[in-house]
Amino acid sequence: MSAGASPQERLAAIVEHQAHLLPAQGPIGVFIHHNTLHAFQHLPFERAVTEAAKLYGTEPYMNAAGFREAIDSGRIQPEDIDTILSREPEVKLWAAGPAIRELRRAMLLPGVREFRPETIDWEMREGGMLDHFRLDVPPAARAALSSDTAAELFGFCLANTASQPEKAGQPKRPRDGVRAATGVDIDDVVQPLTIKLCGAFLDQGLGFWTMPYRAEGFWPASRRLLSQPLTMEPRGLRRLAEFARMAATWNRTEAVMRFLELLGVGESEWESVIQAELLALPGWAGLMSQLEAEPELAPHEPVPASLMDFLAVRLLLTTAATASATGVPGDWRHERAPTTDPEAARLARAAAVFDALQLAGISSRALSALSPGEVQHVFQTIESFGDWGRRMVLHLAYEERHARQILLPLARHRGQSRLDQPGRMAAQAIFCIDEREESIRRHLEETDPAIETLGSAGFFAVAMNYTGIDDAHGAALCPVVVKPRHAVTERPVHSDQESYGRRQALRKLLARNSHNWFNSSRTMLRGWLGSAGLGLFTIFPLAGRVLNPLRYGRLVKWLNDAVVPQPRTELAFMREHSTQHAASDGLLQGFEVDERVERVAAVLGTAGLRSGLARLVVVLGHGSTSLNNPHESAHDCGACGGRRGGPNGRLLAAMANHPDVRTKLRERGILIPDDTWFVGGYHDTCNDDVDLFDVETVPPTHAPDLTRVRAALDRARALSAHERARRFEAAAWGIDAAAGLQHVQERAEHLAEPRPEYGHCTNAVCIVGRRSTTRGLFLDRRAFLVSYDAAQDPHNSSLAALLGAVIPVCGGISLEYYFSFVDNEGYGCGTKLPHNVTGLMGVMNGYESDLRTGLPWQMVEIHEPVRLLFVVETSAERVVETIRKNPLLWEFLVNRWIRLAVLDPAGGPPLLYRDGVWEPVEGDDEELPEAASSADWYAGKRQHLPVAQIAKRDPRTAAA
Amino acid sequence: MMETLLLAIVAAPGVTCLALSLAWLAGWTPSERFVGRLTAAVFGLMAAGVIWLGWLMIASGTPSVRVSLGEWFRAGNYYFPLAMLADRLSMPMVAMTVALAGIAGSFSVRYVHRDQGFFRFFLLLHLFAFGALTAFTAGSFDVLIGGWELVGVTSVLLIAFFGERPEPARNAVRVFANYRIADVGLLLASFVLHHSGSTLFTPMLPGEWPDQTSRLAGPEVLLAGFLLLIAASGKSAQGPFAGWLPRAMEGPTPSSSIFYGAVSIHLGAYLLLRFEPVIQAEPVVAVATVATGLLTAFMATVANRVATDVKTSLAFASMTQLGIIFAEIGMGFPRFALLHIVGHAVVRTLQLLRAPSTLHDYHRMHAAAGGELGQTDTLLAALPTGLRLWLYRFGLERGFHDAWLDRLVVLPVMRLARVLGRAPIGPGRKA
Repeated sequence: MSAGASPQERLAAIVEHQAHLLPAQGPIGVFIHHNTLHAFQHLPFERAVTEAAKLYGTEPYMNAAGFREAIDSGRIQPEDIDTILSREPEVKLWAAGPAIRELRRAMLLPGVREFRPETIDWEMREGGMLDHFRLDVPPAARAALSSDTAAELFGFCLANTASQPEKAGQPKRPRDGVRAATGVDIDDVVQPLTIKLCGAFLDQGLGFWTMPYRAEGFWPASRRLLSQPLTMEPRGLRRLAEFARMAATWNRTEAVMRFLELLGVGESEWESVIQAELLALPGWAGLMSQLEAEPELAPHEPVPASLMDFLAVRLLLTTAATASATGVPGDWRHERAPTTDPEAARLARAAAVFDALQLAGISSRALSALSPGEVQHVFQTIESFGDWGRRMVLHLAYEERHARQILLPLARHRGQSRLDQPGRMAAQAIFCIDEREESIRRHLEETDPAIETLGSAGFFAVAMNYTGIDDAHGAALCPVVVKPRHAVTERPVHSDQESYGRRQALRKLLARNSHNWFNSSRTMLRGWLGSAGLGLFTIFPLAGRVLNPLRYGRLVKWLNDAVVPQPRTELAFMREHSTQHAASDGLLQGFEVDERVERVAAVLGTAGLRSGLARLVVVLGHGSTSLNNPHESAHDCGACGGRRGGPNGRLLAAMANHPDVRTKLRERGILIPDDTWFVGGYHDTCNDDVDLFDVETVPPTHAPDLTRVRAALDRARALSAHERARRFEAAAWGIDAAAGLQHVQERAEHLAEPRPEYGHCTNAVCIVGRRSTTRGLFLDRRAFLVSYDAAQDPHNSSLAALLGAVIPVCGGISLEYYFSFVDNEGYGCGTKLPHNVTGLMGVMNGYESDLRTGLPWQMVEIHEPVRLLFVVETSAERVVETIRKNPLLWEFLVNRWIRLAVLDPAGGPPLLYRDGVWEPVEGDDEELPEAASSADWYAGKRQHLPVAQIAKRDPRTAAA
Repeated sequence: MMETLLLAIVAAPGVTCLALSLAWLAGWTPSERFVGRLTAAVFGLMAAGVIWLGWLMIASGTPSVRVSLGEWFRAGNYYFPLAMLADRLSMPMVAMTVALAGIAGSFSVRYVHRDQGFFRFFLLLHLFAFGALTAFTAGSFDVLIGGWELVGVTSVLLIAFFGERPEPARNAVRVFANYRIADVGLLLASFVLHHSGSTLFTPMLPGEWPDQTSRLAGPEVLLAGFLLLIAASGKSAQGPFAGWLPRAMEGPTPSSSIFYGAVSIHLGAYLLLRFEPVIQAEPVVAVATVATGLLTAFMATVANRVATDVKTSLAFASMTQLGIIFAEIGMGFPRFALLHIVGHAVVRTLQLLRAPSTLHDYHRMHAAAGGELGQTDTLLAALPTGLRLWLYRFGLERGFHDAWLDRLVVLPVMRLARVLGRAPIGPGRKA
């Protein structure tokens, strides 16, 4: 900020800067996964998580109990901890003493206990702490302690631990100081009113009445409401109207500055006080800020949101509450008295050192021989390896083991070619790279070994603004970073025009009626007629929906199809002239030939399908449908911007079937045989339905191919559903594939199901390479699979395009799951059970709370918190060179927000990137077990499973 | 036969709760699967029992089943009668409770799956069902109080289900305080009824519902009527007690639905229906009942129109209909009020259970309507600016209910308590 800027400009700059610290989540109807700590991405991961943890009061890593369980179950091996610790320089604790590394290892294995000032008294008197050493002290340490007693060692520790006076709590914002001085928590009155006002302002149609003067902005509308006469405020806000009227002529910036002045906050403190006030209600403030930056995110009703407005309202309430509590708004600079007993704190610190010393086998005798300076050094070394530091090492060890679990079997597997079919494949199926598609792809290849599957980001290079026949308006189907320039509309085929008209009219009528019922059942008079007259009949949908959701869902679908049948449709995507814009939104209508060629080439070329196409190629987009799930959209396709990608698959297929497109593709070296036909489709990852589009246009010559692929897909989706069901306790053991499919279908229709699917919960790896490298591997739905053939990409241009999309999208997903898992209350949105949809924008906890952002516990509960491991099948030099050219990707890599490994097609062990060095991953500590089929491998198991090799099947017998 | 059946239906959830609690005390926490199946079996049997009992009553033309279980104790003239009564008022309430609690139970097996409070939730659900059924089939006022209190306690414990967060605990305490104050009305009413003779409904309210009469006479009618109105208002969130209902939405969705959409919230209305002859005997009480209902309905419908989150909106929608039900009872339409209660309970249960689907439903509706769903605030827009703003603020602050309750009741009481605390009275004080 230049020195010449006005105070208004400086304030605006501060608010804009602080906005980055707020959750970057838009309205929940379109859920976009992103790095929860986006604002810290310029820092190295380990520093970012601790700085954020200090700022937000959150956890940087999985909790200690989680790591303890991982050690006990063998998920973390002692060697992994040694590997991490061996990266530190070898330094002795004192000249003739043990190595610091040894001490740290003992503090991790068997691990120190936590001592708290509140309970230390009990530990000493009754917990047996001073009676004897810990029973799990390693034998060597026990021997070293043989001449010592616990009481003696603790006595030594206590004598060498000085008391540290607790710092007085400086108030960060008026609430802290008022509470310290008067015991009154002004948040009790400020928060509820702020929440109600935000909810009213941002509402997208839940409220029956719209907030008056909403179009003028949050501050003007709120100020008007708050200065009403003849109201009654809670005691803690009794001077509210007085201050609201005082502000009658202030605009938002002026209001913020005046209130800060009234609160006695000088310009030097603006930043810290504004930060504290915004972080007191981060969810709502964050949504205001998101909608200010991108107003089009509001799904139904545009609102002129502004973070400055939010701050003005918040400061008005804070000023009024402070004044009501203390008499003067500026009277809040009171320090909080120390809360812990200094002697207890000293005892707890001494106990922590005592605990570490026994594990390391350092006796009081050995310590007595040291100089006071050396003793202090020992104590400091122990104390500096605190809870977060220990968990950081454990986290790295946890990831180390994970990398070995993936890379070693992968290296072993790739020596064997798994293309079972000599010659041309029977069909190819292109799926999204999504790790949830891994299982259906594997089962498809297991079912019919003559089918090859490929992975391509699920918008299939078609960035478009799409309007389906059932949509009110268009929506962007592409990654959020891309702004679509083309519009595509679905329209009924000519022969169905008439029935379509009837259908639309009927749907509109039904919608109006249900909206009417939705509202009127809640109002006074119409609600009276409704509930007294018709209420009793709701017992049928109620009982049906809850007691037999699957049958009820089918009944509703059948009724829908009977009353409002789906017309056959086609996509309007052809454009002949190069510059044909729609008058209204400035989008290009459809794609002209060259643009189509480009899209098809982007998918086929990158995936290495320049030749060798089968007679039938299926392109499957994906999405997810579930009931009673505010987070439904979080299960949709990330590459389609949190929406359903069926139209993208359909459109790509239609483009690739175009003769002109094929001719031009040939010029680019992409050969689509004349007898190849593309079919688009849609895979619902929740109920595992697979729909194929436009099958009536498939040439009769391809009917047998279609029948074969359809049958294989049906078998594969049932098997995949069965594999998914192993994770769900509600599915009985020992069910067959059909029952597995039925189980997941029921979940999608079940009103009471908080986990209709586990979403990206198991994501851990992203493999960029040829399918032949991973084909036949059981990857447990944990790997994003991106098809890429380095041999066909001499200039790395495909790799650059591909990583440019895959690293931010998959990395964002992985990091969102990481943070929502390690601190589900702080970064995620807690358990779903008390969630309350507000304003069609988000969820609150129960009656009134901050807007909850991030992922709910039910979505992340079985997640393994690791950073995503990218495995790229190319040479180390090529991948680094490609990533270095893109600053965003480079930041992801060097700041360690992702992990990166390469499998060089030229051979050699997998190489893992660590701070600029490629380390080979070798050893035989991870096996590659073989299983007859996927089902054999996962049968009877719920937990994460290691990579396994699925036995080859003879293509001739397999088809049976 | 019918007597045994009635007792079995009421006792079933109580016995289940007791058995599960004892098993837990003995060190065995049953698995989720076991609890789920047991719940389904118990509610299935209860539903069959209700149908059977209803059929028996209709077939034999019995308007009511009355069971006397003797006395719990007797002290001088005072005695505590144990009696059950299933008549044309009780049976619909019983059927509704069994059906809706059973559906909510089935829902919860999936919904609360893997939550650490799963077992606790089902214990409370069974205890609640037992309490509600006891209250609905009570044959004496004393038994009714027992069931009433069980409903209150389970309600508060389920609001505080997520007790690790401060808000649910705080709101649960607030609801508890409301309940306790209203229950004073109930207890005092029981004194009045004991004073006037027996608390058994059979001699007190002769005849068959809804054509009952009242044996109470004199000033006791007025007193009892008002006290019952206070108690009923507390349970049904009416009049001065209107503030607690939205705060009760802290618990898991199915418990919100069964308590505040369906059964618990209608318990107050049931009390008034049971004592309908007493209410009607004194025009002042009847008018007060109508006025309480209509004023609450007005406040709640305004608050509902402003509410922008689905659970608060439904809470006020419930409160609105309860207000109208009170008015119906006060005006002397008991049959219609009963129909209204049952219909309303079913609608609200479904709406609350479906509350998390609001986004899904609304988006679909919006798309089907081509993006034009029509204005809903035409009424508000027609008002003059000042009134419009004021009315919106009135709704936003839920009728300023919390504010005036805090300032006019809570604070003075706390001040008084502080003064009394300083006064040198009471046996426990030492100099």
